[in-house]
Amino acid sequence: MNDAADDIARLVDHLFRREAGKLVAILTRIFGSANIELAEDIVQDTLLAALNHWSVGTVPDNPAAWLTQVAKRKAFNELQRRKTAAAHRERQDASAATNSVSLDEIFLEREIPDSQLRMIFTCCHPALSLPSQIALTLKTLCGFGVSEVARALLSSESTINKRLYRAKQKIRRKEIPFSIPSGPMLEERLDAVCLTLYLLFNEGYTSSHRESVIRRELCIEAMRLTRLLLEHFEDYPRLFALIALMCFHAARFEARIDQNGAIVIFEDQNRDLWDQKLIAAGMRYLGQAARGGQLSEYHLEAGIAAEHCLAGSFAMTNWQSVYQQYELLYRLKPNPIIRLNMAIIRGQIDGAAAALPGLAELADDRELQSYFPLPVTQGIFAMKTHDFASAREFFRRAQTLTQSQRELDFLKIKLGECELALAAGQV
Amino acid sequence: MQEFLLILKGDGMDGLAPEELQRLLANYKGWVQELGDQYLAGQRLQSSGALIRDQENILTDGPFLEPKEIIAGYFLIRALDLEAAIAIAQSSPHAPYYQIEVRPLVQPLMH
Repeated sequence: MNDAADDIARLVDHLFRREAGKLVAILTRIFGSANIELAEDIVQDTLLAALNHWSVGTVPDNPAAWLTQVAKRKAFNELQRRKTAAAHRERQDASAATNSVSLDEIFLEREIPDSQLRMIFTCCHPALSLPSQIALTLKTLCGFGVSEVARALLSSESTINKRLYRAKQKIRRKEIPFSIPSGPMLEERLDAVCLTLYLLFNEGYTSSHRESVIRRELCIEAMRLTRLLLEHFEDYPRLFALIALMCFHAARFEARIDQNGAIVIFEDQNRDLWDQKLIAAGMRYLGQAARGGQLSEYHLEAGIAAEHCLAGSFAMTNWQSVYQQYELLYRLKPNPIIRLNMAIIRGQIDGAAAALPGLAELADDRELQSYFPLPVTQGIFAMKTHDFASAREFFRRAQTLTQSQRELDFLKIKLGECELALAAGQV
Repeated sequence: MQEFLLILKGDGMDGLAPEELQRLLANYKGWVQELGDQYLAGQRLQSSGALIRDQENILTDGPFLEPKEIIAGYFLIRALDLEAAIAIAQSSPHAPYYQIEVRPLVQPLMH
């Protein structure tokens, strides 16, 4: 008998998840976007069949091909069943779009990316709310289970279930086609896709949450889908800017958390831990993004991230250039968070004392009332000016704005430093 | 030695994520391997089919039962006695996800 461990080793990590994402897209192309759920059921059934067969017998040499074959057979049976039922009712089953393209063709290796692209455009359809788009993308394209989607998005399973249900209902009701848009629509729809993937990436990246592994997978998935788009829409520079931005941020993943799982602020990050391969890839993509003279927010954000990645040290950062790019970015999408970043950079250029009034002004902005990074920044800058009493107030305010254990731990350390400095000052 | 049918009820694994199913594979393989020749057969059942309530009354548009009552599949195993069979059922990777009915077959095995 084959050794079980050897057998299991033949399965690459995340094989089921990857193949599930692929197969749901293929099957939805067969049964139509109104039947995503049917596609998901067939895929689940396929995976369960694999679990049984491979456990009792052995894992096949090509597990992915096995899964595809089984899913195809199940799809065929389902089509037959539907045809019989339709004949019974003496009318055609309109939902099955298999008259023009054959089942065999859809299952061909070269047709898979096409199915996945259709699925991307369906999941990121502007008729769906952004949170629904992200949940649906994770569920269908990335092969996440409902429990995983909930964990990754810091939500509950019932919330995610409702969100997915509503999204699928909307796709059915609005008859959103399972297709790749063309003509003048394409650019607009690609913009929407970019935004969703950008948010998906941010969702994973901005986390300081204990579920960091699954959150990180969000970033990996966002990058994978962006790359898939790149291969098909080469004339769309902002996709290249987007992937560049993702590369630069992902390069710093390891450096953001120390061995004890605590947050390391940007200034203190060990730059040796930055992934140089990803930075190089980011630079390559950014170069390609420059074609066409288009300047999107992704270009600017990638440009800013590139400045950081290229600087030998925090002190060596080209703050003027960063500031200028933020100014342009602010013009493209004016929001208080960009202003906060600009105030921070002013602090790097003119000193912490010069930045504090600007930060105080921002604190009055309604949108930033409960924005955790603001009081943290104020606290850190106040510490630099040796005003530890004010710093302590800022950190205490920040404590009321987060539930993340990591962030609370970080504040505890900073508060301790303030107390120590204040006590030393009194002696 | 006696033969037992383990009847699995419910829809426990239908909601599992692909990733979780892949993780389960190792446990499942280990369980089957450990049982060796005590494992005789096993099969998953489709949830559709027919229900014959009486000779006149045949239902074919399943499922007919509450999800937790549906028979999802079965294992046929060999065990020393009921106690041992229960222990085998409990150690199966399916135990957290399904209700398992352990039923001895009537005929004693001829050995």
